[in-house]
Amino acid sequence: MEKRLVEISNLTKSFDDLEVLKNINLYINENEFVTLLGPSGCGKTTLLRLIAGFEYADDGVITFDGRIIEELPPNKREINTVFQKYALFPHLNVYDNIAFGLKMKKMDKSLIEDEVKKALKLVKLEGFEERNIKTLSGGQQQRIAIARAVVNKPKLLLLDEPLGALDLKLRQEMQYELKEMQRALGISFVFVTHDQEEALTMSDTVVVMNDGVIQQIGSPIDIYNEPKNRFTANFIGESNIINGIMHKDFLVEFEGVKFSCVDKGFEQEEAVDVVIRPEDIELKKETGLINGVVDAITFKGVHYEIIVMVGDKEYIIHSTDPKEVGDQVSLHFEEEDIHVMVKSDA
Amino acid sequence: MRRLRIVALPYLVWMLVLVLLPSLLILLLSISDLDIYNLGAFSFVADGFEELSKPLVIEAMKNSLRLSALATMICLLIGYPVAYYLASLKTKKKTMLITLFILPVWSNMLLRIIAWETLFFPNSILNMFGVSLNLIGTDLAILIGMTSMYLPFMTLPIYSVLEKMDTSLIEASKDLGASNMQSFLKVTLPLSLSGVVSGVIMTLLPSMTAFALPERLSGGKTLLIGNIIEDYFMKTSNINGGAMISIALMLVIIVLFITVVHFDKEGETLL
Repeated sequence: MEKRLVEISNLTKSFDDLEVLKNINLYINENEFVTLLGPSGCGKTTLLRLIAGFEYADDGVITFDGRIIEELPPNKREINTVFQKYALFPHLNVYDNIAFGLKMKKMDKSLIEDEVKKALKLVKLEGFEERNIKTLSGGQQQRIAIARAVVNKPKLLLLDEPLGALDLKLRQEMQYELKEMQRALGISFVFVTHDQEEALTMSDTVVVMNDGVIQQIGSPIDIYNEPKNRFTANFIGESNIINGIMHKDFLVEFEGVKFSCVDKGFEQEEAVDVVIRPEDIELKKETGLINGVVDAITFKGVHYEIIVMVGDKEYIIHSTDPKEVGDQVSLHFEEEDIHVMVKSDA
Repeated sequence: MRRLRIVALPYLVWMLVLVLLPSLLILLLSISDLDIYNLGAFSFVADGFEELSKPLVIEAMKNSLRLSALATMICLLIGYPVAYYLASLKTKKKTMLITLFILPVWSNMLLRIIAWETLFFPNSILNMFGVSLNLIGTDLAILIGMTSMYLPFMTLPIYSVLEKMDTSLIEASKDLGASNMQSFLKVTLPLSLSGVVSGVIMTLLPSMTAFALPERLSGGKTLLIGNIIEDYFMKTSNINGGAMISIALMLVIIVLFITVVHFDKEGETLL
């Protein structure tokens, strides 16, 4: 089993009367890329700030490397942060920004020079030492912020939506580079984002959060294929969520049709949410078990997004095969594409 | 930009008529025997320079430099922590405290000087509490006066810089291992220097040229350069001599100004 670097148990945090984190339990392994994913206001940044030490929990315990760290101020934790807006020191040049942490450690001057050089090489900005921070582009500032953090060789690097301000192309490039960097450095990353694609692309583990509560923890594949509830299913990619009834293990009914499925462990005749991903539905011209009419079709590049009305329920289907508005179609899917989950209030 | 020029015009005219021309006139007066009350022919003379070597003038210039430098330093030492505290407050309390802080500036300065003066006399309202300050004529009286007059002008520019400072910079500093003290010295202080420079200039300039304040609080014992100039113009009618001293004072201030700005590398405050 992998070694646990951070363990968070029963963590609670309120601002004034607003409870932003409710009983959070989470662990982070060594050398793991963990993403905290959720909409804005879900508490993910607060959780990150608690780990960094900028906020203190009302209740609960955070251990780091086997030691309880709640009482430690940020400067005593072996954790570094890449801030959302980079927070580079405007009065220092690139070299002094990166060297800041090492100077605090009173490291030898020539050693600092070596380390800064290495860090700049890591973020592919060699020779930028003397540059003024204000003359750098957003992407370059981003890299300097990463270099400034990793140069301290933390065991854990926290990243607070660091790619939010970059354009799409650069963002995708940085996603890849960050993942590479994490592997090369062999340290744990905790990455906060509201972008599900970013989370799926980079992470070993995704932690889906909403309303101060962890909704699901799992690998990107698990999270995408086996969402545990309506929220996760909706937040990670697009989903068709249908009301259904679980008659018994492996048998679910929705749209008036009984389907065999791969899910079990529900009460008999329990009302459930059934999730089917848009790309898992195939449209056929002939009549089938579920029939509908094409209501709209939008070209999305790789695929068409087709809206089919079954009765008054809307289905989203992604297909490379275009249809005409008004076409009579039937919906087809495999039994493993039917995801049954406990009904939530939403 | 071009359209805005017309808006700036009244002020430019104002500057020309009421600042630039008088300054040139002062310059002319200082190096000639022009009689401003009896305009006519004049010739350039170097008599004015003699005024500068008079012991009284040199003494007053020294007093002005010493006292205004001290007052500025005291204002900085008091004003910076106050500004720091104000900037760290929550909005509601902040507005109230800043209003309280600015309030004295709204009342007449001469009135406030006279208020201090009455307190500094041996016989004052403080006798009720068994206290007799008897400070009139001391440097301390002038310093207390200057500090109380100009403290807001030191505090507010520093406050406005600190208030706008991104708090995540301090968090970043702590995140990188700096203690509270180190964060202050390495991040907060250098980033607030522009406010300090504004504050220093706004305190130093008026205290260098003050004349009402030293006149009332020194009881005529300590002469500052402002008093000397006033005497030259108003009492002895040696306008040419007074103009020369004015010009000299202006030069001293310009030198101070350049020195201070030199420390403000960013140049954000003034330029």
